[in-house]
Amino acid sequence: MFENLDIFKMASGLARHAVTRQEAVAKNIANADTPGYRAQDVASFEEAYEGNQAGTAMRTTREGHMMSASSQETNGFRLFDAPGPSSPNGNTVSLETEMMKSSRVRHEHDLALSVYKTSMNILRTSIGRR
Amino acid sequence: MSDLQNILNLSASGMKAQANRLRHVSENIANADTPGYHRKTVSFEEVVEQGAKTGAVSTGDVQLDQTELTRVYDPGHPMAGEDGFYDGSNVALMIEIADAREAQRSYEANLKMFDQARQMSSSLLELLRR
Repeated sequence: MFENLDIFKMASGLARHAVTRQEAVAKNIANADTPGYRAQDVASFEEAYEGNQAGTAMRTTREGHMMSASSQETNGFRLFDAPGPSSPNGNTVSLETEMMKSSRVRHEHDLALSVYKTSMNILRTSIGRR
Repeated sequence: MSDLQNILNLSASGMKAQANRLRHVSENIANADTPGYHRKTVSFEEVVEQGAKTGAVSTGDVQLDQTELTRVYDPGHPMAGEDGFYDGSNVALMIEIADAREAQRSYEANLKMFDQARQMSSSLLELLRR
């Protein structure tokens, strides 16, 4: 019942986006020294949100659908090759950028959870419990 | 939640790979004065499971650096030839120390991601508490 309220949907969507992006960052950092590895990134939440509203984004709805290698989907969020200079062995991961991304993601996750918690408290108050 | 678990796995694989690299560096340093020792190098590669890249990282085969061994002049050495030279090792301490630093830095980055994911999952669980 409660998950159909818009604010909960959005908060959980934002939290899922944060986790998906964190996963991409963890993958990049683990492969920071792998020759030929291309850094990946997840499209911003705004883009995914607007894409959902308009319903125009391409999605894999069947098993046989293939996405191009440069843009895949995980958990409904678009994954793409992060641009950036590559080191001599063809690796495009920059630890500093990844660290920055990860702290931004952390912030996003905290925000989503606080919104969820606060809305939950409001609901609780409205049904007369504290 | 399973995504967060996946992040922990990815970061752990990165830490394992970096620790393995550091182990080979310390072997090289320990054998810097062993006659005829070739320095060992490891390269990183992505783990492929059932034809798909998991994003985790592992160390590949150990390779011996085939650059020329240093010739050391010491006529009193039991392994010295007629001209008084014997084959030393091709370990350059400066390179090994730089490599160790890099491994340490990457290890710390992975550790930070691990900690970040752990905190995110615990703050998620915090929602269940009243």
